[in-house]
Amino acid sequence: MSLEMKVPSVGESISEVIVSQWMKNEGDFVEMDEVICELESDKATFEVSAEIEGVLRLKVGVGDTVEIGGLLCVIEPKGEKKEVIAPELKSEKVVGGAVKIIQMHVPTVGESINEVTISNWNKSSGDLVVLDEVIAEIESDKATFELTAEATGELEILASDGTTLLIGDLICQIAVTDEVDSKSLVDKAAEPEEISVPLASQGYAASHAAPAAAKILAEKGILATSVQGSGVGGRITKEDALNAKLQKEDVSLKDIEESVITDSTKKGDDSDRSEKRQKMSPLRKTVAKRLVSVKNETAMLTTFNEVNMQPIMELRKKYKESFKAKYEVGLGFMSFFTKACCVALKDWPAINAKIDDDEVIYSNFCDVSIAVSAPKGLVVPVIRNAETLSFEQIEKEVVRLATKARENKLSIPEMSGGTFTITNGGIFGSMLSTPIINAPQSAILGMHNIVQRPVVKDGEIVIRPIMYVALSYDHRIIDGRESVSFLVRLKELLEDPSRLLLGV
Amino acid sequence: MDYQVIVIGSGPGGYVAAIRCAQLGFKTAIVEKYSSLGGTCLNVGCIPSKALLDSSEHFHNATHTFKTHGIAITEAKVDFKQMIARKSDVVSQNTYGIEYLMKKNKIDVFNGLGSFLNPHTIQIAGKEIQSIKGEKIIIATGSKPATLPFIKVDKKRVITSTEALELKEVPKHLVIIGGGVIGLELGSVYARLGAKVSVVEFLDRIIPNMDKTMSKELQKSLVGIGFDFYLGHKVTGVAVKGKEVTVTAENNTSESMSIKGDYCLVSIGRKAYTDGLGLDKIGINLDERGRVEVDKHLKTNIDHIWAIGDVVRGAMLAHKAEEEGVFVAEQMVGQKPHIHYNLIPGVVYTWPEVASVGATEEELIEKNQPVKIGKFPYKALGRARASMDTEGLVKIIADASTDEILGIHIIGARAADMIAAGVTAMEFRASAEDVARMSHAHPTYMEAVKEACLSATENRSIHM
Repeated sequence: MSLEMKVPSVGESISEVIVSQWMKNEGDFVEMDEVICELESDKATFEVSAEIEGVLRLKVGVGDTVEIGGLLCVIEPKGEKKEVIAPELKSEKVVGGAVKIIQMHVPTVGESINEVTISNWNKSSGDLVVLDEVIAEIESDKATFELTAEATGELEILASDGTTLLIGDLICQIAVTDEVDSKSLVDKAAEPEEISVPLASQGYAASHAAPAAAKILAEKGILATSVQGSGVGGRITKEDALNAKLQKEDVSLKDIEESVITDSTKKGDDSDRSEKRQKMSPLRKTVAKRLVSVKNETAMLTTFNEVNMQPIMELRKKYKESFKAKYEVGLGFMSFFTKACCVALKDWPAINAKIDDDEVIYSNFCDVSIAVSAPKGLVVPVIRNAETLSFEQIEKEVVRLATKARENKLSIPEMSGGTFTITNGGIFGSMLSTPIINAPQSAILGMHNIVQRPVVKDGEIVIRPIMYVALSYDHRIIDGRESVSFLVRLKELLEDPSRLLLGV
Repeated sequence: MDYQVIVIGSGPGGYVAAIRCAQLGFKTAIVEKYSSLGGTCLNVGCIPSKALLDSSEHFHNATHTFKTHGIAITEAKVDFKQMIARKSDVVSQNTYGIEYLMKKNKIDVFNGLGSFLNPHTIQIAGKEIQSIKGEKIIIATGSKPATLPFIKVDKKRVITSTEALELKEVPKHLVIIGGGVIGLELGSVYARLGAKVSVVEFLDRIIPNMDKTMSKELQKSLVGIGFDFYLGHKVTGVAVKGKEVTVTAENNTSESMSIKGDYCLVSIGRKAYTDGLGLDKIGINLDERGRVEVDKHLKTNIDHIWAIGDVVRGAMLAHKAEEEGVFVAEQMVGQKPHIHYNLIPGVVYTWPEVASVGATEEELIEKNQPVKIGKFPYKALGRARASMDTEGLVKIIADASTDEILGIHIIGARAADMIAAGVTAMEFRASAEDVARMSHAHPTYMEAVKEACLSATENRSIHM
């Protein structure tokens, strides 16, 4: 008899918990009293231990919110599993290796995410997959997730690369085999004399385009493998090809040979006039939508100033080695700018505020978002409570977040919130720009490149390393006095970093 | 520009390309060196050889099978002059047909040797010299019979396929160098008309590009109508003395032998023909075998110039050239057609005919691909017995695990027409069992295909 494990009552006024971690995986054997799961409420974290020994069957995933008393998992006592499977094993011989079919659905990956796109299948239909093996990469408009096999067996892909699915949609199914049978399945395939009759949807001819269909697909730039054929054995008929719509052109264009379209008005000219159409990634679409809405819905404008970087550069030069030796992280400009922003934000709290309906929310902390150019587009991870962090802590946090961003591994919490944003176009060589506010925040600081410029100091022209800084702000809640003063304050702090120490 | 497309050469590649270009709305011209359109295929290849093959087959039946059929004739005699005349009629009807098609599609025909003056200008040296300009140009100049350096083709006693279709008499002993399609077809013509035919082949089997079973079966049949085969023999010399031709050859142990005949047909293959085309003038690349070098779009190294058919790589077959003609024309308007080169069928119009599509057993063994093979003999076919055409068999090769048909090889009556069904099946990647489960009319030769598929599926032919 299997045992259902439910969320225990963890304290008064706590009505729900979030599953923050599973220590054990689906199908793992767990000992009694072994910690299997970590739960998080808005107050504390709790561990859940196995109530009996047996095989674990997860019922909720990491990040799921479960009410007190809600089902967490089922533990199947040892021995029971075999008895259940045994009769099915016999029938397996008849159907050719499959015991039962596990259907895999798009998991809930986070709040406010209701659709995902399959960015990459690591496995193909017909492949044998092992429980917990990563079989696909899924992309939402916020982050990338890995999809792991929920069982060991033969994979059948039901949604191809580039398909957009809603949470809970069927994504693939696994014809479950146990280890012994999966081996015999392989042996069987290696034997030339035996004929295995393939399932209709995954046979050798699935996605084989008939001659006319192949031509139509090529002209549409669609890969045959992305089309569900309605013909015998999944073959693509002419009608299928006529009805096929482009799903993920970037792949198909790369794979299908380029057409030879010569412009009859041009002669002997080999310039390439072909175009490439590429579907916007969910991330790109979200970025696009948000940037336009910020432009439309805020009263945004930008103020500028210039900063003499010589003092900071000298300071850095002086302490670079010892800082690195002590903290194992380089001393960059980001720590100075972040610290200076935090001080200036305290002085001008409106810059750190946001509009919520007809109220203004002033945050007493500085969560500074930093814009990072990641492979899939712009992301803005957040440095929490930057005002409390030391230079070293800020530098480490920047490195950590930027690395994760480039590896597409940022979690949603790491990107949520933020009260103010810093973006550095200077690393790409920008001299001056007007950044767009990272809504719902009210202001963004733009850093730029440092250029040796002639400046007048004490009535004389001298050469100084100058950075132009820009502050885009929402005029609805920030007035010119505040924005300009913020930037002037920032300038003061950066041009004389000892002020950061003294807070003056 | 005078034309949007100029096609050089009016063989099955060229004229089909021209028609497809015209259909797609291009103002098109075609240039032909000879006075009649149609190229090798219509004038000195496929069509005239089939005309003579059919005539000689009738004669063969009259002298060999009529009696059994219950038809008594006193004595069948060959009127060779009439046979050649009928062949010429067939040719002119066909070439006239091409002229009509050119007119119908408003394609301008220029007679004369076409050559490039520059990448867009073609000079035509006919009765007068003129030049035309084209935006795009398709080279479809085809091929010519190849020979060996030490053989002097005098076109009287030592001949190529072209002359073999125009002989004034039936040879007494025709010595054929090369056991390929052309030699065996023309050899069949004269063997049926009473000639002794000797074939000298360098390799150890005839029709070496086809499945080995086909080579073996065809050799058996041809021996039956009076062929002698000298396989694994390398020709070392051809000497003409008056009306006598002596072909000397040696086998792989260097033993020398000689065959005396009254005609020697050199049929060792064909080579791409680009003479006088002026390709060097505009810098078009040729490959090591003198063929025009093309990319997978059949485009030459010059952007607006394509090449198709025998003048480029691939099998020298009229239907391959036709597909390429359409392929190039459609690409010009941005369409994306496909050619599955491995599904272009090959046919030998001997009797029994040989036809095949897909891979041979030897190719699959070499690739270590596990296969299943199903065979069915014509002997067991009601239809074949009824018409006394019981020579031959169908061989189906299927993938051992998926049952997908990988190759179809037929030797027997009407194989040439039957192979189209095989191409259809393979284009749709049918399994052997798929075909085995389709209804085939009874009694037909195609039943042998169904039965061979049954045999390949689970060795369950019904009529064996």
